[in-house]
Amino acid sequence: MEREIELRLVARLKAGDPAAFEAIYEAYRPRLFSFLARLSRRRDVAEDLLEETWLRLVARARELTDDTRLGPWLFTVARNLFASWCRHRALHEDRILDVAISWPGPGESPFEATARGETERRLEAALARLPSRDREILLLVAAEEITPSEAASMLGLAPEAVRKRLQRARERLAQAMQEEPDLLREKVG
Amino acid sequence: MRLRVYDADPARVERIRARCVSVLETRRRETEAVGTGPGRRAWLEPALAVGLGVLYLADAVVRALAVCR
Repeated sequence: MEREIELRLVARLKAGDPAAFEAIYEAYRPRLFSFLARLSRRRDVAEDLLEETWLRLVARARELTDDTRLGPWLFTVARNLFASWCRHRALHEDRILDVAISWPGPGESPFEATARGETERRLEAALARLPSRDREILLLVAAEEITPSEAASMLGLAPEAVRKRLQRARERLAQAMQEEPDLLREKVG
Repeated sequence: MRLRVYDADPARVERIRARCVSVLETRRRETEAVGTGPGRRAWLEPALAVGLGVLYLADAVVRALAVCR
């Protein structure tokens, strides 16, 4: 979203304009939902946290500063809600479904499904196996293109710590992607 | 890293939209109501209560001082 448009939307949202909310909702909702789904690996949880994130936006709309960057603001709230959910509820790894990689894309042809298939499936599976700290930083910086300095302020870390965490996460992801075919063979075998 | 973008269930998407728009519209109505009848009552009644309270306290202080003298 262009910065000028974003600033206008923030001003209108602060004034309580529902049309501004609609525009922001359409622009960020799928990205936020994908982020939450990949963090939580549960569709129901992702939807609950998504709803709470948007309710927080409208509840705090008047408190937004004029230069608020909506992306980092929304992802920070979503990330904090997920962290809070993790604290209040134990994650049972064996009950978690790989829902994200099994959802069909809207209007996708069989050819498209096959074409995207293998690499994307391996990437999603490798991401799902990473520790949640690694998954979080990769999703924010590598997938959502939030700058390392913005991510640092979102996560309450120094920029250098974010860069190191990101580097480690990339290495672990690469390793997990290499291990993926071996895991598959073990499952099939 | 390009990842597929997913979306929530359409019914849920609409429910969230409706809830948020409802919050914004309620707030807008409240803001617009300031200065009209019910809006005026919202600040006039507490102001009258505070005013009467101050008068009562001032009277009590005056009476207490009169007793002390």
